[in-house]
Amino acid sequence: MAARVFKIVASRPTKLLLQPFKTGTRLARCQSAKAATYESTIENLPETRVTTLDNGVRVATEDSGIPTCTVGLWIDAGSRFETAKNNGTAHFLEHMAFKGTKKRSQTDLELEVENMGAHLNAYTSREQTVYYAKSFSKDVNKAMDILSDILQNSTLGEQEIESSLLSYKTSEQEIIILRNSTLGEQEIERERGVILREMQEVDTNLQEVVFDHLHAVAYQGTPLGRTILGPTENIMTINRNDLLEYIGNHYKGPRIVLAGAGGVDHDELVKHAQQYFGNLGAGYEGKIPTLETCRFTGSEVRVRDDTMPLAHIAIAVEGCGWTNPDNIALMVANTLIGSWDRSFGAGANMASQLASQSASMNLCHSFQSFNTCYTDTGLWGMYFVCERDQVEFMMTAVQREWMRLCRRKISPVELERAKRLLKTNMLLQLDGSTPACEDIGRQMLCYGRRIPFSEIEARIDAVDTRVLKSVCTKYLYDKCPAIAAVGPVEALPIYSRLRSEMYSLQV
Amino acid sequence: MVLRIVRNGCRNLPRSGRRSFSSNPLNSNGTGDITNVPLSQPIPGLPPPRFTSVKASKNETQVTVLDNGLTVATENVFGQFCTVGVLINSGSRYEVAYPSGISHFLEKIAFGSTTQFTDKDQILQELEKHGGICDCQSSRDTLIYAMSAETRGLQAVVNILSEVINRPTITAQELEDAKMAVGFHIQGMELDPNPEPILMEMIHQAAFRGNTLGLPHRCPPENIDKIEKNILYTYMKNFHTPERMVLAGVGMDHEQMVELAKEHFVKKHKPIWLEQENLIDTKMSVDNSLAQYTGGKVLMEKDLSNVSLGPTPMPELAHIVIGLESCSHKDDDFISFCVLNMMMGGGGSFSAGGPGKGMYTRLYLNVLNRFHWIHNATCYNHAYDDSGLFCIHASSHPDQLSDLVEVIVRELLNTTSFVDKTELQRAKTQLQSMLLMNLESRPVIFEDVGRQVLTSGHRKQPEYFYDLIGKVTPQDIQRVAERMLTSKLSLSALGSLANLPDYENIQNTLLGKNGKRSRFSFLGL
Repeated sequence: MAARVFKIVASRPTKLLLQPFKTGTRLARCQSAKAATYESTIENLPETRVTTLDNGVRVATEDSGIPTCTVGLWIDAGSRFETAKNNGTAHFLEHMAFKGTKKRSQTDLELEVENMGAHLNAYTSREQTVYYAKSFSKDVNKAMDILSDILQNSTLGEQEIESSLLSYKTSEQEIIILRNSTLGEQEIERERGVILREMQEVDTNLQEVVFDHLHAVAYQGTPLGRTILGPTENIMTINRNDLLEYIGNHYKGPRIVLAGAGGVDHDELVKHAQQYFGNLGAGYEGKIPTLETCRFTGSEVRVRDDTMPLAHIAIAVEGCGWTNPDNIALMVANTLIGSWDRSFGAGANMASQLASQSASMNLCHSFQSFNTCYTDTGLWGMYFVCERDQVEFMMTAVQREWMRLCRRKISPVELERAKRLLKTNMLLQLDGSTPACEDIGRQMLCYGRRIPFSEIEARIDAVDTRVLKSVCTKYLYDKCPAIAAVGPVEALPIYSRLRSEMYSLQV
Repeated sequence: MVLRIVRNGCRNLPRSGRRSFSSNPLNSNGTGDITNVPLSQPIPGLPPPRFTSVKASKNETQVTVLDNGLTVATENVFGQFCTVGVLINSGSRYEVAYPSGISHFLEKIAFGSTTQFTDKDQILQELEKHGGICDCQSSRDTLIYAMSAETRGLQAVVNILSEVINRPTITAQELEDAKMAVGFHIQGMELDPNPEPILMEMIHQAAFRGNTLGLPHRCPPENIDKIEKNILYTYMKNFHTPERMVLAGVGMDHEQMVELAKEHFVKKHKPIWLEQENLIDTKMSVDNSLAQYTGGKVLMEKDLSNVSLGPTPMPELAHIVIGLESCSHKDDDFISFCVLNMMMGGGGSFSAGGPGKGMYTRLYLNVLNRFHWIHNATCYNHAYDDSGLFCIHASSHPDQLSDLVEVIVRELLNTTSFVDKTELQRAKTQLQSMLLMNLESRPVIFEDVGRQVLTSGHRKQPEYFYDLIGKVTPQDIQRVAERMLTSKLSLSALGSLANLPDYENIQNTLLGKNGKRSRFSFLGL
């Protein structure tokens, strides 16, 4: 009875089994394969092979020989590259991707994907835009054809395409890229409604709401402070030209990684990549877009609403960028503080002192430590949900825990547990072709390579109590935090008091 | 050279917080420079890893039954991690002679103190040494204790499993904690804006009234204080016997696993309830009754006008689930029912994800795309050892409940008529891909191995089911649809139910008694 395989399909009840504790949904999800210990490390996973095409597109694959696979495009572009005026364009573009191309109408595209039992998906974050397909391995060629078509030939307004294209012409190659795009004005109008509806959905997810507020205060006045969806005014006004301009500025060979995992043959994928993406432009004729530095500001926002049942609060300090080596120690610190939900019970995540305190003193409903990274900055902190009269106590407990990282020594046993747990979580997250593919794509963009797990392991091993204390002190101690609080948050102490909890006289 | 310019153009920026690598504030104790090397560069001197080459070999599940009746099943797949666990024929369907909620408690109390380990923390620490994590989940008919860990930790893992299953010493504190956790869990379900778990509980209660699969899966709040230590032990003594268990594993050698099983599940001391007989209440016994599909209704009038947890209001909805008996997963029609389920598909009127989520299934094409007031329409097929439940969950504003029921009933009736070839082929391909994609995950393989061996004594490989799906014909679909429509209606509903049509009425329409299957009279369609 594959009964249960089907049942998982049909009613998705048991999928949670054995997923590792997630240390914050936005935790820098790091890492790949697996090794025993040091020295003669044998990664019991296939190698990640990388080939760079002439136009800079990097093809990276990990072939595990199974009958299904994930392939996708990871693009070094996201809402951070937008201005106040065109904020929301990257996300809008993602929406338009499935609206038909010169070769395929929207219906053709949808039917083709559905009929081959594949899945097409896309998402936009502040720094990355991703389009991927999951399919049978035997259909990988078709999947590549579809991906290249939606990326390069989306209609974005069929009729006007030639003219606006010419007006935006930058090079011969641009035309080839956009030739089949039809980004239709009509479709664009329709999609505005869909995006506004999505915005409503996002607004019902309080964690998303709090994180958007957190970005808005922590990175006020900079592109990272804006939302991914953009403000309503922009969603109502973004036009075809904005979309074309965005593609022209950002969808460039060297900023694109084609990643594949599951049953994918590297050489075959390189061949397809050459065929489908070989024409993609590599250079800029005009101004080269630059990444503006985003300044972190310690500050706070309170959205008090006493009708809400629970308070949702995030507090963060400025963390570090992707490639910064301090990231490893920050991730260890993150795991040490951990995450917890009261329905897990008192025994869950005993490695975390905050979890046992929360359980025994009923401090909160749930908490998650997070570490969100960007190219040159990051947010390291804590998100929690609690009753209104516990707000102050929970906040105090969190900040005490932070000071414990900086001032009093964390015991080697506690540190050891956190390190092991971090390695385990990283490894177990790579279950299935899609998580593996996401890991490859993200790492290629963030690090320019895929880090072998043996190396990650060595790096984690190198974090001893001294390194931990030193890095935590550097990022946490006597720093101004950014705070976002939504709900019945009257009991949240004033900022100056919370700021004063960021240092401690006990050494 | 263009390339270089591009990279530099967008990347060479001042980076705040980037440490210079030459000055080294951290590592004065000689641990080397590792903590200062940016992640974009390899660590100098670290030998490059040797990777395994792939091409997964043909898999096969090996099964051995031990002297005491315990079945050991393994499948040796690729990877350095293994997933091991015990699946037991135990769950809410067996709780008829006991206070409902025992399985829910066992799930929360799992991996607590045992005769060897003083508390859960000690178990977790032992497991952490081998990079392991653990989990326990109960469904209506199976209780699963599972762990993932490095393969070299297999012995420790099997030892922990035998301890937590056969020798738990439930302390007063642990029982108290479990009561809290169960309470919070139920509260969480009540608060959750997504009513699906509650609806599935209700439809099972309607379909299998008062027996087996219809018994509450989650602990009813009034039972939290009734469940005591001796009841839990008695239940475990009766149901957690070796012949009702499979020790399943993915990613290890079969012989090694059998040896470990013999040592930890056969030779080692007996289960705690056999050693300390005062723990149990001898009056309660084992329930082996078969599931009786009864049909019926379970309705819950509830104000859902303000379910939003935040400042953004959510639309007020009323939910219905209309269910009919499908079949057991051992039945010849099982695969056809799965294909039918896939063909009906459905989902939310607003859902994330691109093509591939079933946009051309019937519940999208005929329901969600046509009636914009319908918020959600999703088809489910639950298959068990001895019965099955095919149902559609749908929701709309409470004022439109009556129309909603009509639309859904019409779709159910339509399943017996024409099946388009392309539509069928699409559903079959999607089911095949879903089967294989789910099995990309090691824990899912583990669960599949365990469940198949638990019910049939062996495991069929996915290829077998892949081929069976390929053989389903339009006639098969119509046949199972006819079969399903002869069963009695199961109905559950949640929300403001003033406009919910009468049970008898819906039943009669489904049976074709309201005129000649008045399917085309609805809404003037």
